[in-house]
Amino acid sequence: MTRTQRLASFTERPELVGLGVLLLLGSGVILLAAEITSGALAYVVGGLMALALVGYATTIVRGTSDDRRSIAPYALLKPGVLWLSIFFLAPLWALFVMSLSSKESRFDFFPDFTWEWANYQEAFTRFRPQFIRSFTYAGIATLLTILIGFPIAYVIAFRGGKYRMLLLGLVVIPFFTSYLIRTLAWTTLMSDNGPVMNTLETLRLVTVFEWLQIVDDGRLLSTPAAVIGGLTYNFLPFMILPIYVSLEKIDTRLVDAAMDLYSSASSAFRKVVLPLAIPGIFAGSLLVFIPASGDFVNAQFLGSPNTTMIGNSIQDQYLKQLNYPVASAMSFVLMVIITIGVLVYTKFMGTEELA
Amino acid sequence: MSTSSRVGRWGINAVAILGFIYLFAPIFVIILFSFNDPAGKFNIQWSGFTLDNWADPFSEKQLTDALLVSLRVAFVSTIISTFLGSLMAIALSRYKFKGQGGVNLFLVLPLTSPEVVIGASLATLFLNRSVEFGYTTVIIAHVMFQISFVALTVRARIRGFDWGLEQAAMDLGASPMRAFWKITFPLILPGILAASLLSFALSIDDFIITFFNAGSLVTFPLQIFGASRVTIPPQINILATMILLASVGIMVLGAVAGSIRRKRLGQTL
Amino acid sequence: MNTRPQSGKNTPRSPRWSRRDFLIRSSLAGAGMLSLPALLAACGDDNGGSSSDGTGGGGGGNSLVFDNWTAYIDDETVANFIAATGIDMKYLETYNDNNEYFAKVQPVLSKGKKIDADILAPTSWMAARYVSLGWAQKLPLASIPNKANLRSDLIGPNWDPNGEYSLPWQTGTAGIAYNISATGREVRSVADLFAPEFKGRVGMLSEMRDTIGLILMSEGIDPSTLTSFDDAAPAFEKLAKANADGQIRQFTGNDYMDDLDRGDFAVCVAWSGDVIQLAKDNPDVRFVIPEEGGTSWYDSMIWVTGSENSDAVAQWMNYVYDPENAAKIALGSGYMTPVVGVREVLEAMGGEEAEMANDPLLFPDDVTLARLRVFASLGEEEEAKFDEEFSKISGA
Repeated sequence: MTRTQRLASFTERPELVGLGVLLLLGSGVILLAAEITSGALAYVVGGLMALALVGYATTIVRGTSDDRRSIAPYALLKPGVLWLSIFFLAPLWALFVMSLSSKESRFDFFPDFTWEWANYQEAFTRFRPQFIRSFTYAGIATLLTILIGFPIAYVIAFRGGKYRMLLLGLVVIPFFTSYLIRTLAWTTLMSDNGPVMNTLETLRLVTVFEWLQIVDDGRLLSTPAAVIGGLTYNFLPFMILPIYVSLEKIDTRLVDAAMDLYSSASSAFRKVVLPLAIPGIFAGSLLVFIPASGDFVNAQFLGSPNTTMIGNSIQDQYLKQLNYPVASAMSFVLMVIITIGVLVYTKFMGTEELA
Repeated sequence: MSTSSRVGRWGINAVAILGFIYLFAPIFVIILFSFNDPAGKFNIQWSGFTLDNWADPFSEKQLTDALLVSLRVAFVSTIISTFLGSLMAIALSRYKFKGQGGVNLFLVLPLTSPEVVIGASLATLFLNRSVEFGYTTVIIAHVMFQISFVALTVRARIRGFDWGLEQAAMDLGASPMRAFWKITFPLILPGILAASLLSFALSIDDFIITFFNAGSLVTFPLQIFGASRVTIPPQINILATMILLASVGIMVLGAVAGSIRRKRLGQTL
Repeated sequence: MNTRPQSGKNTPRSPRWSRRDFLIRSSLAGAGMLSLPALLAACGDDNGGSSSDGTGGGGGGNSLVFDNWTAYIDDETVANFIAATGIDMKYLETYNDNNEYFAKVQPVLSKGKKIDADILAPTSWMAARYVSLGWAQKLPLASIPNKANLRSDLIGPNWDPNGEYSLPWQTGTAGIAYNISATGREVRSVADLFAPEFKGRVGMLSEMRDTIGLILMSEGIDPSTLTSFDDAAPAFEKLAKANADGQIRQFTGNDYMDDLDRGDFAVCVAWSGDVIQLAKDNPDVRFVIPEEGGTSWYDSMIWVTGSENSDAVAQWMNYVYDPENAAKIALGSGYMTPVVGVREVLEAMGGEEAEMANDPLLFPDDVTLARLRVFASLGEEEEAKFDEEFSKISGA
């Protein structure tokens, strides 16, 4: 092939150009920002990026409208992707390097890279209880948010009428106050002599709750239940909003038709509404489970020394023990487990995309 | 309607109402305690009703300053992230292109990382490049995690959007830009607004990521968390209540404006 | 909005934008994105040599920034100081936790850059760390004649033997606080912390030295003579066992006061100054120095490396060590002053202040002092081991 022919065939695959440019720019900024390459090599990378942009511009100018159409998404994606590349991926790379490093002195800020796989070993063995606890608490909290959030979303979507936006707003408004203030308010509510315990005592339900292991010897605060309760509360809107979004898109005539067909509201619900709400539930569970497993505030204020989660441990290792390598290793393990979990969950739920 | 459906109907209503009570229980406590006359440095035990706190809501200067900082940061970062995130969402839902799955995964990644990780690694980046900590770094950090939320939320919202509408408009003679602004944009606007609302709330509330990247800048959560070891003045409750009232006010205004708009549209149609 | 999803929605039949718009958009986007790293680099270059942390204090000038713990001073001293000396002083209260603050300034100071604050008041063991890392400058002692007023036992700790790098700010004790309506009886010793009747309602401090220090004394070990972790191991074991048994409710910072007030904690390890304040409004709350003994701690002022305001620093320290001023500060903070002569000033004031002059928790007599111990200062490795083991127990 002659050069012009090759060039022509290249621009005939504008998709590739678009994708290629995106990848190149993305990796370029990562390399530069994370200072993986420096000096002369950095100029090379910069040059390649410039070349990419030139190729890009060429496609636009000399390409057909079809070409431009297939390149359009990449243009739209570029700003966001680049932002994330610089400020998320580049630091993450630096963190990965950190997780395989070791420090000579505790107060060293810049550890040496030494392929220290022992960090990961420590993350897995010593902090296994915290990992398990975090996923358990987050899992239960997710289930609870579904149980509590679905009715709320349902009522807003189907019974809200013209008050929908207002009701949705009401759901979100409590979360404009600080996370900490809300959690502290819960300590007031759940205190040993506070309203919740007093209600339970008047209703003579204390022993029942103790048997359920929610209350521990007259204490609601400083129990796993309190931590899970806090997690549920703080992440509830993240479940309500996505469920609402998918419920709202359901054509009410579908529901009417289903009621005619099944002659019972609950069957109509189960066979029509629920499956259509699944994408929302799916998205919501991700938005709840993932941050909940990394949370530390609830465990710190509402829990006891035996309910600490992996978030507390990472924070402790980072701020107090100043053990950045192990903290980074723990963070990576957490991220990887969650990502794998998300992928499995995606397959299981059968949706083709992640939201 | 059969009895079981009726029971089911009221059952769901009841659960929803309980749910709303649950949502607002701590808020009630917060508002209540803004009228408290705390015995000591911590406004945690009820000891007496007073209006004094409200007479002097801004007496804790550091707290009020921190709130203003948070509002500024949230405002700017929400605008940027809504813009960037919406672009990505539009790209993801309107087009089929190579690398779509990869971008999806890429968007979700920041949400799977613990905040400590994101915050600390970002701070390291800034340090290495000798970037001064302050508004810029905090805004950059906030936008970073907001983009994912915005993109995913907007995408979910416009998933069922009928892009053929744009085509119809263009068949009728509108230019692509005009078709976008007059047809598509107003219809996907609610989704974008919802996403920006969410990301505004996220920004105001963020603690850990901000902690690592703020330098000497103090945001509202930082001030509360920091000072809360030693004192929790009722002014915190007052400011929190004010935020609440302001948000409700904006919400009501929005609803009123929306219904006026609808009426007007109804009249022209 | 009830639109029906359409098949083939993703293939519009004509371009989304006109060619011109597209060119403009993408080139703008591209240019913008490429310039971002350049912008960042430019930011960096502009600030290359100077502070990387907000506005720095002027060099060698007439300004001063003191970043201190919250509620650790009275309302007037700073204003009086500014009026008396004409120095432009900024008093901040963002120092909330020794470790947190260290993590915040470590990156900056490790790179040899300057932080905002000229003076910090870390707890003694953290001050020791700053000194050992070379982040504290030698104080202009010649210009601080009032240091002669200081309690002699607070100058020249073994991590700063010549007292060149640090001078005390305030001091206090750690002991046991209890809520009598929750305990139903008086509490006198560390053993009560481990009493089964208080199971699940005991609070411990997250400050390792105070918690372990008290337990050590109840085991008959003197915390000021520790040389290695093995010396302290019995205390750690006892604490670990108590935690496993569910004896301990929480490890807290200052926020134990809420729980104590509410009765969620029946007994807890606590700091004297906090409890004095709380007890004024809730007479059920009491503080004791345990029979076995209590720990004594102090916060030290250090002059941070990179700051050039030696004159202002000297004037401030001299000012606060004047007994009249120190008295005001002591009244405001509620902790023990390191300045001798404050007691007499308070007595002269009469009334409530004179009562405080006789409070043994504020002005301990020699007998009380004899029951107090300062935790030994630990080397880096030892400290790491202590911190690790303590974290394992407190659950992190």
